[in-house]
This record gives sequence, C-alpha cells and structure tokens, in this order.
Amino acid sequence: MGTPGTAIDSLNAALKCNIIPNQEYLLQGSVLDQYVEVLLHRLRGLCDNVDSGPESFHDHELCFTLRATNPGAPMVLPLRVRRALDVPDAAWQLRYVGQQELGDKNRPTVVRSSIDMACSSTIVEFLTELGCRVDFEYIARGYMFRKGRMKITVSKIFKMGSMTSKPGEGVEAISQSYLVELSVLAPSGQDAIAEDMRIFAEQLRPLVQLEKIDYKRLGNLP
Amino acid sequence: MQQREEKQLESSLDSIIQRVNDLKSSIASMIYKVENEYETLNWPTFLDNYALMSGQLTSLSKVLSHDKCPTLRNLTVLPLMLSPERDEQLAQMTEHRVTTFAHDLVPDYLRTKLEPLAENKMMQLEHKASTLSYENAQKQIAAYQKVVSHVWELVSKAREEWEVESSARGSTQQNSSVADTHSLVAAVGMGKGLKMGANPNGQPNPTSGGMMVPPQGRPGGTPGQGQMPPSTQTMTMNKAPSAIKTNIKSATQIHPYGR
Repeated sequence: MGTPGTAIDSLNAALKCNIIPNQEYLLQGSVLDQYVEVLLHRLRGLCDNVDSGPESFHDHELCFTLRATNPGAPMVLPLRVRRALDVPDAAWQLRYVGQQELGDKNRPTVVRSSIDMACSSTIVEFLTELGCRVDFEYIARGYMFRKGRMKITVSKIFKMGSMTSKPGEGVEAISQSYLVELSVLAPSGQDAIAEDMRIFAEQLRPLVQLEKIDYKRLGNLP
Repeated sequence: MQQREEKQLESSLDSIIQRVNDLKSSIASMIYKVENEYETLNWPTFLDNYALMSGQLTSLSKVLSHDKCPTLRNLTVLPLMLSPERDEQLAQMTEHRVTTFAHDLVPDYLRTKLEPLAENKMMQLEHKASTLSYENAQKQIAAYQKVVSHVWELVSKAREEWEVESSARGSTQQNSSVADTHSLVAAVGMGKGLKMGANPNGQPNPTSGGMMVPPQGRPGGTPGQGQMPPSTQTMTMNKAPSAIKTNIKSATQIHPYGR
C-alpha cells in the first residue's frame, strides 16, 4: 500500500522541480460578430494547426463557489467544471483559477495560478456534497487554435435559458462579440513566454485588442 | 532699376541651375542603377527614384513659373566669338561633353528654331488643319470629347470606389468594442449577467432545474460515461431547490459549510 505515498512523493518532487504548469498567462479581447471570419482567417494563417483547420468546441461551464465564513474574513473558493457538449465521451474538467496578478506595465500579460484536472461527470455531485453551490454557468462555443505553447480561443458566450431542460437549447448570446483569449499554461517563473504572447497579440491588431484586463475595475460595470 | 533686374535674373538662374543639377544627378544615379544593379534592383527602389525625379521636375517647373522669375524667352544668348580651339574652362563646366565652342556645335546648342524635319512636319499638320472643313472638325472634336469624357468617367468612378474603400478601411478600424470585451470578460470571469439571482417570473424550480439538470440530463450520454446511480440522482433532486441563487446566500450565511 505504498502507492499513495509514492504519488504524494512524486507530486512533491514535481513541485520542487517546478515542472507543473500551474501558472496561466492570459490576454483577453473581443471581436465583433461581423469580423469574426476575418479573425479566423488570420488565425488560420498564423497558427500551427493549419492543415486540420480550426478545432471547434462547444462547452458548458459551471462555476461553483465554496464559501467559508470565517469571522471577519469570508473566503470564497471558486471552482470551475467544464464539459464538452459536442463530445459526450470526453472527460470533464475541474479547474481552479486563482487571483489574477496584473503586475506593472512591463509585464505583458495577466498571470494567475491555475490548476486543472480531468474528472468524471460525478464531480458535480461531489462538489455539491462538499457544499459548493453553482454560482453561474454558461455555454462557450467557438474555435481553438494553437501556436507553439500558446492557445487561442475564439468563442461565443451564451447565457443558459432559464426554461430549458437541455443545455444547448434556448440559449442566448450575451453580446454581439466573440470573446478572444490567448493563454499559456506554464510552470511559474517562465516569464519569457509572456513576451511571445505580446508579439503574437500585436499581430492580431487592430482586429482584436488583446489586453490585460483588470477584473477589479470590471466590478463597477453597469 | 536695371541692377535689380540683373540681380533677380542671376538669383533665379542660380536656383534653376541648382535644380537642373539635382535632376541631372538623380537621373545619372538612376541610369547607373539600371546599368549596374539591374540584378538586385527591386521595383520599390526604382519607383522611389522615379518619384524623386518627378518631384524635382515639379519643383523646377515651379521655379520657372514663379512671378519673381524673369521671362527667359525675352532674353537672347548672343555668341560673340567662335573658336575651334579647345576651351578648358568650357570643358570643365560641361563635364567634358563640350570641349570647343566651334561652328559645328554652336548652332545645335543655341538653336531656337525647330529642326527642319520637325518644322516640315508641323507645317504639314497646320496646313491639314487649315484645310479641314468646319463640320468635319466639329465632328472630330465631338468624337474626341466623347472618348475623353468616357475615360474621365471611368477614372473618376474608379477613384470614387477607391476612396470609399479606403475611407471604409479607415473607419472599420473599430473591429472590436471595448464594452463588449469587458462584458464578456466579466461574464466569464465573474458571472456578471449570468447569475440567476433575480428571477422575475418567480419560478424557482425550473430555474434551478435548469442549473442542476446538466449533470443528470445527458440523454445522449453514453453508458460508459458514468451515469449516476439513482440514489445520487434523487439526492440531487432533493438539493435542487436550495440551489437558487437567492437562497444560497441566506442559506450559506445561516449554515456555513465550515471548513
């Protein structure tokens, strides 16, 4: 029964060697619906998966929060569950995304800690049993591109219809634009990749302005 | 009075000479390039050179048509002495193109009349024009005007299209909207606009059902994908009502899941 021990050991070793990609470098932007074709065309030219064409996805994301009200310091732990609607056999994904760090002006991207893992569909019951509650959910449908270690997603975000019994029906898009995200998962300290991302984002201007977006400022949005 | 005119003439001649020299040197460099670098010469550099020359020509003609410039055609150049001897100064001034100010060269260089061949041709054309009947001339003018106006129309149409296109390109810089970016990012990141908190219809059950159905409501799901056992399904159903947003808040405050 040494298995759990060794698993922990190898995890610790991996942590020590800093090979776990637990940092997400992120830039975000959007493109109006009528120009999305132009953007896809440009991405097709810039990215690696030229031959296979863009990979499409259709995902449902549930955002859970676990609230622990310590006196004086209410803590909210966000957990995200994502599943593919178009590939029923695919594993589900559980993901923790930490507080984003904007850094100063010299840092080209947002950095936030991110841990994700594959899981089965029972994760929802598991989280519910733990005391997590669904905070919000949405459907993301769009395309994914790769360029080296960079991942670029162009997706339409849909709000779940309130009366639907099946996801994917009666959904409504929440804006006239596609969300564009450029991200890289890397072990901490690999800031060089951020520079690559900045250069790549530069190539998508002026079609898309990929930027560091401060969530705190968005909190005051109407 | 005369002195002033002379000064003016001198200064304008100076500026004309300077511009002609500029033009000459750029033509020379162009010729050099065409002759010696034709293998590496690319189209943009060629066009650059050409643009430079045309700019110099324009500035030369501007100088010539300037008010301050005396009318050069009213001035005459009078050769006072011709000599078959080699004139070093002249050779230097003309970069050894003209070495003697002699009888065979001077008529060519100081010519004000057209060449005899050209003069003949002009005479013929003028004669032809004078013998043309009025109606014929009118007809030809009309035909010509028609052609010109047609070409003009084509050009202006193309220009209009081009301008519309370029202005459209200028204005469509706006391919994305900052407000949309913010609303999308806020929605995905914080659930802004996605939370089910305020349900105006007061139908909590369908709403929560919608939220909780995804795990169990995979009708197309394959059996291997981990269908939930019935017991958990009922459990979820029992829990469903408490999943309404408004209820969560109060519930979690009263019964915090202490950890």
